[in-house]
Amino acid sequence: MAKREEYIEKEKKEKGKKLFGIFPAQYPREILWAMNVLPVEIWDPPLEVIHANAHLQPYICSVVRLGLELILQGKCEGLDGFLFPHTCDSIQNLSSIVSDYLGVKEPCYFFYHPKSPYQDSSRVYYLKQLKGLVSRLEKQLGPLDSSQLKHRVQQGQEVAHVVKQLYDLRVQGELEASNADFYRVVRRGEYLSPDDFLPLLEEFLAAAKGSAHGGPAVIMSGVLPNPKEILTLLDELGVRIAHDDLLNCSRRLLVPPSRADDPFEALTESYFAMPPCTTKDSSVSERVNDLLAKVEQSNAKGVIFYMVKFCEPELFDVPQLTGELRKRGVATLLIDSELNQNLSGQLATRVEAFVEMIS
Amino acid sequence: MYLIKNLQYHFMKDLGLPALMRFSQKTKKRRPKKLDTCFGPPLKSTGRLKEVMTRHYFLSRYAAGARPVAWVTSGAPVELLRAFGFYTFYPENHGALCGAQKVGSELCEVAEGEGYSQDLCSYARIDLGVCFSGRTPVGKLPKPDLLFASNNICQTVVYWYKVLAHHWKVPLILFDTPYNFEDITNNDISYMVGQLEEMIPVLEEVSGKKFNYQRFQDVIRVAKEASLTWGEVLATMKARPAPMTIFDAFGHLAPIVSLRGLPVALNYYRVLLNELNDRVKKGIGAITDERKRLMWDNIAIWYKVRDLSNLFAERGMNFVAATYTNAWAETISYLDINHPFESLAKAYSLVILNNNLNHRLELMERLIKEYRVDGLVIHSARSCTPYSVGQYDIKRLLMERLGVPSVVIEADIADSRVFSEEQTRTRLEAFFEAMEA
Ligand code: SF4
Ligand code: SF4
Repeated sequence: MAKREEYIEKEKKEKGKKLFGIFPAQYPREILWAMNVLPVEIWDPPLEVIHANAHLQPYICSVVRLGLELILQGKCEGLDGFLFPHTCDSIQNLSSIVSDYLGVKEPCYFFYHPKSPYQDSSRVYYLKQLKGLVSRLEKQLGPLDSSQLKHRVQQGQEVAHVVKQLYDLRVQGELEASNADFYRVVRRGEYLSPDDFLPLLEEFLAAAKGSAHGGPAVIMSGVLPNPKEILTLLDELGVRIAHDDLLNCSRRLLVPPSRADDPFEALTESYFAMPPCTTKDSSVSERVNDLLAKVEQSNAKGVIFYMVKFCEPELFDVPQLTGELRKRGVATLLIDSELNQNLSGQLATRVEAFVEMIS
Repeated sequence: MYLIKNLQYHFMKDLGLPALMRFSQKTKKRRPKKLDTCFGPPLKSTGRLKEVMTRHYFLSRYAAGARPVAWVTSGAPVELLRAFGFYTFYPENHGALCGAQKVGSELCEVAEGEGYSQDLCSYARIDLGVCFSGRTPVGKLPKPDLLFASNNICQTVVYWYKVLAHHWKVPLILFDTPYNFEDITNNDISYMVGQLEEMIPVLEEVSGKKFNYQRFQDVIRVAKEASLTWGEVLATMKARPAPMTIFDAFGHLAPIVSLRGLPVALNYYRVLLNELNDRVKKGIGAITDERKRLMWDNIAIWYKVRDLSNLFAERGMNFVAATYTNAWAETISYLDINHPFESLAKAYSLVILNNNLNHRLELMERLIKEYRVDGLVIHSARSCTPYSVGQYDIKRLLMERLGVPSVVIEADIADSRVFSEEQTRTRLEAFFEAMEA
């Protein structure tokens, strides 16, 4: 399959798709698909930070810093718009810097999703937010075809279904793919159209079915598996990431299906049934229960909290989560890292020591 | 048990505390104060402020068990809670107090020892440090029956209050205020109104009291009047010389944050306003030689207020405006006793930190013009992402648009460990030079 840049370029030129740069994390991708937009997610572009430091203080996470850098280096010029979901304070302010201060010519959209604990008002609000987003997009992209939306919602559910099968097999130790391969494939959904992502997932599922090696299993929690070296290191140590609680993976890919006929209702129902997440203010107890369930299902021996430095939403929960897990005999490891930086020798040693402990 | 606690609380409130305060006044050694020649005569109201706040913190020791206790974030619509008679405690205000008393860092260290990263907001770390250690300069904090947070100032408070909810095993109510990337929408307002209505049964259950609409309206009226009076207090600094400095206002802010909706706050601001108006009439300035007028952006550096105040006053520079102090005066005019829920939704979700950065820039431009500001000091507060991210661009744009010189101080609100004396001095010296150029 073509590389990310080539693929995106081709989608634009050959299929006439509009391209939107999407900042983390949760957004109704089906609406964009239905409006002939290819959402291209911006999580961890491999760049050296040159310009972004003139706009951001040193204590801001590298997801935000790299995303801004991508824009400042002019690498987003082929895009037709940006979408900023309301993920955290940093993304919130970044959205305003980009839209209000940098004078980018592409339209910027913002999507606010209600925070937990959810009430009836949250559901009503979310549904209207979806429709509100559509009407704003329609001004740029023309009217939404409701049958297209229905089709894309259905397709979104199919994608989620295959992703769930992959995760289930991993939990049961019946997927022989390495950690690195698993996440490489899963993360291609960050820019592939579902028309291409779905077959890729199916192919991978068929090819990777098989007994996983017998090493210990762990759960990985955090924002995203970057630097990738952590995955390779775990592979080398014979450790399988049997499940994850990563913001850019299971927390938003394991979308529970909905039977609702109306596509907006279906999107709403799925949204509120998603796994707990810091960026939605899920309670500590919900997160503890979710992690414990994952540990139990997969027989994992430990949880690795793989933090992006300065990520407040994640860092606040960690002490109570690790406390509760340890009380129940689950080992934990906390790693703080910057994106795209090689694993230091010291960090690798800590991972090795942890693996030794759980083996 | 409740009866005893209640009796004890009321005894202390009505008899014990006033007697104690009279006693402490009498026994206080009256040392002649060394008056700094850079400053005008001190504000008399400051004594009253100390009384009001001491009383508030002192009573908090007796509140648990006598009244339903809620811990509340500074931007939450407390008016609704007041209608149920909650005793409210403000961890952020307490964090500022700890910062000002220079015990912020050691309390942060307690939280860090429990695994809370040094990169988290220091108000939160201080509060968690207090929860874990029981140490506080005010003696004792009342255990909460309820936590009440609004994310109109930051998402941080919600992460923090989730930790508290798990720690104290009490319910957390969130008032979720959608960020105004563009203009506020009807959907946003209905959502917020819906949430306020959904809170009522929970508040009834926790407080054991029925919702009284009339009482709610009364509270809203008092809160609005207090905030408007606070706005007038700040507006006195438009006078030249300004009768107080923003460093004073940082202190006088406490009642509008912590006692909003209670008559005590309103009464206090009336007294303060009278005094300030009188000073304006008589031409009494907060500093003796007000040559330059400055604006402050972001929360105070609590452990450095006095030092910075002296440093600027010595150079004839007075802070006359701040985006921070203005936050409690800016939107309260939306409050309307005839539409309490809708108006609360607007007043609380349109605050500075819940608005896009264009709004902030426009506000700053307006303040600069109205208060005739010559220069800007920007505190880039490590604790506070929503207040700080965007400041570098604001600095650039204000220079381009209004030619106002400014300086960025990289520091923190309450954790003095991240303050670099040397770096701040160097930056300020360059700023002073630019101001005199
Ligand atoms: S890493 Fe954390 S702080 Fe950074 S954008 Fe993601 S959620 Fe926000
Ligand atoms: S200092 Fe900033 S981050 Fe901390 S509680 Fe206040 S507004 Fe929130």
